[in-house]
Amino acid sequence: MKKILPLTNAAIAIVSGSIVLLGYFFPGLLGGIQSTLLGWAIILAGFALLLGIFNLVMVHWKKVGGEGKGSINSIVLLVSLVLTMIIVSISGPAGTFSLWIFNSIQVPAEISLLAVLAFVLVYAAARLLTRSPKWYTVLFLVTVLLILLGSAPLFFVGEVSLLSSLRSWLMHVPAVAGARGLLLGVALGTVATGLRILIGIDRPYGG
Amino acid sequence: MTDIICPLCGKPNPPDLDECKYCQAPLKTGGFIAPPEGGDELDKLISPSGESGEPGEQEAVASTPPNLEQSVPDWLKQTEANFLDQSETTPSKSEPEEPGPDQISGQIDSLINQPPAHPAGQDNVIDDDWLASLLSEAGVNEPAQSGTPEKSAREPVEEPAQAPAEEQSQEEFPEKAGTSAEEPSEEEQATPALPVEKPAWLTSLEAASKIKMEGVVPPAEVHPEQPFVEEAAENAEEQPPEPPDWLKISAVEESTSTPPSQEAEPQISPAELPGWLEALRPSEAVAPTGPVEDVSNADIVTAGPLVGLRGVISTHPSAIRARKPPTYSIKLRVTDEQKARVEMMEELLAGEDKPTPLPTQPIITSRYIFRIIVAVSLLLPILWMIISGRQDAALPQTGNIPGVVNFTQEIQKLPTGAAVLVAFDYEAGFSGELNVAINSVITQLMNKNVYLALVATNPSGPALGESTITNVYSGLVGNTTTYNFYTNLGYIPGGVMGLSGLATSPRSVVPYSLTSDNVWAGAPLDAITSIEDFNAVIVLTNDSDTARNWVEQVGPRLRQANKPLLFVSSSQAEPLILPYYQATPSQVQGLIGGLAGGVAYSRSVGNFQQNGVWDAYSIGVTVSILIIIIGSVAGGVMKSIPTDKKKEK
Repeated sequence: MKKILPLTNAAIAIVSGSIVLLGYFFPGLLGGIQSTLLGWAIILAGFALLLGIFNLVMVHWKKVGGEGKGSINSIVLLVSLVLTMIIVSISGPAGTFSLWIFNSIQVPAEISLLAVLAFVLVYAAARLLTRSPKWYTVLFLVTVLLILLGSAPLFFVGEVSLLSSLRSWLMHVPAVAGARGLLLGVALGTVATGLRILIGIDRPYGG
Repeated sequence: MTDIICPLCGKPNPPDLDECKYCQAPLKTGGFIAPPEGGDELDKLISPSGESGEPGEQEAVASTPPNLEQSVPDWLKQTEANFLDQSETTPSKSEPEEPGPDQISGQIDSLINQPPAHPAGQDNVIDDDWLASLLSEAGVNEPAQSGTPEKSAREPVEEPAQAPAEEQSQEEFPEKAGTSAEEPSEEEQATPALPVEKPAWLTSLEAASKIKMEGVVPPAEVHPEQPFVEEAAENAEEQPPEPPDWLKISAVEESTSTPPSQEAEPQISPAELPGWLEALRPSEAVAPTGPVEDVSNADIVTAGPLVGLRGVISTHPSAIRARKPPTYSIKLRVTDEQKARVEMMEELLAGEDKPTPLPTQPIITSRYIFRIIVAVSLLLPILWMIISGRQDAALPQTGNIPGVVNFTQEIQKLPTGAAVLVAFDYEAGFSGELNVAINSVITQLMNKNVYLALVATNPSGPALGESTITNVYSGLVGNTTTYNFYTNLGYIPGGVMGLSGLATSPRSVVPYSLTSDNVWAGAPLDAITSIEDFNAVIVLTNDSDTARNWVEQVGPRLRQANKPLLFVSSSQAEPLILPYYQATPSQVQGLIGGLAGGVAYSRSVGNFQQNGVWDAYSIGVTVSILIIIIGSVAGGVMKSIPTDKKKEK
């Protein structure tokens, strides 16, 4: 049995991947099977999300039972989860109470986190030269200042066309070039990984 | 009863003892077995074969009394005579008179300084056998050259020279002679007035010496040929082992080569040396002899095998004394510097056990003050701008921001009542940045009476979409009812797979709306079977990866159907989406990036609201730039100023 299961898993993975891949080349012949397999994968992904939520509840339930300092946070999380599930189940996903919870709690909380992030980034940039006075630190700070200067018109100064052009060039040439290089590398790696899984060399499902 | 003679002190001991009861020397290894009282033991000593029990041999011994006397060596006779002289002394002395150490030493010297053995000494069969038997009993290896009866028979005694034979025996066994003539030890000398007991074997020897002294049988008249021949014949029968051939041959050669008598060899005349060689000769007057140590005042050994010798190491047990082992001081010799280092090490080790208190940080530090300054500098201008609602900063122009114009044109191209798929794939935290553009786009779509199908690959997307539709529609002037010309298809799990499934068969991926309605059965979605049936797809995202997934999974189908794929993104995702827009042919037909793009699009569609957001953003960016510049300069200056810590380092 220990030998049969890995072989079965490998066979399922190889056949499914091959059908989905060939479905792009032969949509008329394999399009239906491809859609069915994708539907199954989407259901499995949704079920994985439920498992993640269940795991989150279990982890924090154990923390509540302990005497750690973070137990109060776990209690808040569990209470919020239960209340939200109850309210959304009753009111519906698009109900008034459900949207009120979302707009009054989740959205301000996430916006506050990003605002704190902006504040931390400014503070760190101001101290960066003090902590690490290196040439690349200076280069990083100069680039940040140029992007900021070109992203919005300076108060009491207005928009400086030279700075806007320089910002546009920085964003569209060096930044995009580096990002595209990263994406190309990621794409090649994805192709190689997909082929290895299709061939059966890599078996992330075990076996 | 046979006693064992101690090899060290010479006293008899009972046979059951392992050590001498006088000197505690081991007896089993080297002790002599004292002859029992009677003539048997004497016969054994005299007998060449050692078999004294045979009657024939006894008769031979009795018939030849001169042999007995011949068998006694001179040194033994001298010792015996001294012993007898001492025993005849008066007993009034507290200690018995014994031969003094000088006398014993003289005897041993006489034994040592014997002249070389006479070649014919081998013929003295009786002496050799006597010694052989004595040594065999004492456990000493018999010398190979001692005369055997066979040899004595083959070489009849031609010389009556008994003295040389005795001298030979003494020369061959000086130690044994010394041992047999050993004097009492010091302990014995210290014993007060004890009568001297003569051992039995010594008594027998005494009798033999008396016979000699009486001159019953002078040695010159002895005819040893016959008894020796007879004895040799008997021994030839009883002792089958014969000497090897080589020994016989050598014996014959020796007998033939040896002249019958020692003829005087001619004197070698001294050579005449040349003068120069004569001068080189060492002068005898300079060093006639070797250096001689003066041992006249040294102690004389009174016990052990070296008894009587002067100036040698004493083997007395008292010489081996247990001494107290030397004591060495265990105190280390260390220098002052080493002591200082040891003390320092001890202090360090003692400090390891004590917990080091953490330095208490003051509540208000320079870093804390700097944080407060940064927070106040950022918050106060932004709050002031939002509260006042001023519009002082210049608004961004539509033509300066790529993608906004095309986006506006694509929206305007949409027919009334068309179905548009809107994907809410951004985080709620980016609502403040994206809502300016999103509200304008949704308002524009509502104004064109477009049917909105909302989907999301982000779990919070459905709520964001629902909230946005509600807020936008409620913000429109004159709308008091809810907006119903849309459907929220909800969340699509699976990421890329979900998008791929949505592109190929949206009905199977999201068959129901959030309200559990089968929206695919009614208008206008009943005419939609795939993604390209929508009139446009608008993606609202803050993540470049999400945008890439939409471009890769959905974009090809839309391009085949010539349907637009439009993006509303945050400022951080804009640079990565912009190449898709700038590509030829473009994979993204319209793009609104960041707050600036949203403001520009709002101004282009006439939906911009003067709420101070743009001024707040402008002053926030300006303050941030100033903080970074001031902080960097101050930090650099402080870094360059030498402080006490830097000086210490």
